[in-house]
Amino acid sequence: MTVRSRPLSPHLQVYRWTITMTMSIVHRATGIANYAGSALLVLWLVAAAWGPEPLDAVNGLFGSWFGQLVLFGYTWSLTHHMLGGIRHYVWDFILGMEAGQREMLAWANVIASVVLTLLIWTIFVWVG
Amino acid sequence: MREQIITQKTIADPRSHYGDAKASTRHFITQRLTGVSNIAFLLLLLFVVVRLAGEDRGDMVETIGSAWIGLPLALLLGIVTIHMRNGMRDILEDYFHGRTYRLYMMLNTLFCLIIAVAGIGAILKLVFWG
Repeated sequence: MTVRSRPLSPHLQVYRWTITMTMSIVHRATGIANYAGSALLVLWLVAAAWGPEPLDAVNGLFGSWFGQLVLFGYTWSLTHHMLGGIRHYVWDFILGMEAGQREMLAWANVIASVVLTLLIWTIFVWVG
Repeated sequence: MREQIITQKTIADPRSHYGDAKASTRHFITQRLTGVSNIAFLLLLLFVVVRLAGEDRGDMVETIGSAWIGLPLALLLGIVTIHMRNGMRDILEDYFHGRTYRLYMMLNTLFCLIIAVAGIGAILKLVFWG
């Protein structure tokens, strides 16, 4: 007797890629990144509480080119997740759910997150 | 929270109220309220980081050690860890169940607890003992 394999539920690849779906995935991904990134903040705070030598070590780590790259990514991740959360608030009030509106909100989310991140780094790091 | 075994009968019976209405509502509301608080946290974090990035210990003690900055930062960081645990729970519920889920959920709680205790502890040390 042959046993037919059970039908599999379709995964992401069968659907047409949409911006709302992408932003939903990115919201989850940035949430995970922020979760892990919280360790960086706590590392800095604990080093400061510990003493001057640990703080110097952490400052050296965060000040290196790789550290700056990670912190730049972390800034974008936090900004994107915050704006994504605000987008969910708008939807909670049953606003912006119509076709066109939701795509507009999703695009605004990604564009604003990039612009805000660049603004923060331009004003406070590259110029300031 | 231990999850119970869900049979087909449970789902088919409208009286069983499939899913936990109260816990799910609490989860949703908690995530929204802590989310609003996290906007305030990010603004304060931006202020603190811009002021202190790369600075030495004396400046850290002066700024974070000031109760007006340190105590709100500690409180908001504690709220952040609640949001972290809740959010990670959503993800774990999607991909794991049974014993594996409970194990990962325990590790999730442990990580968030460590972040809260270490972060708040470090800030309180700066505020009260310099």
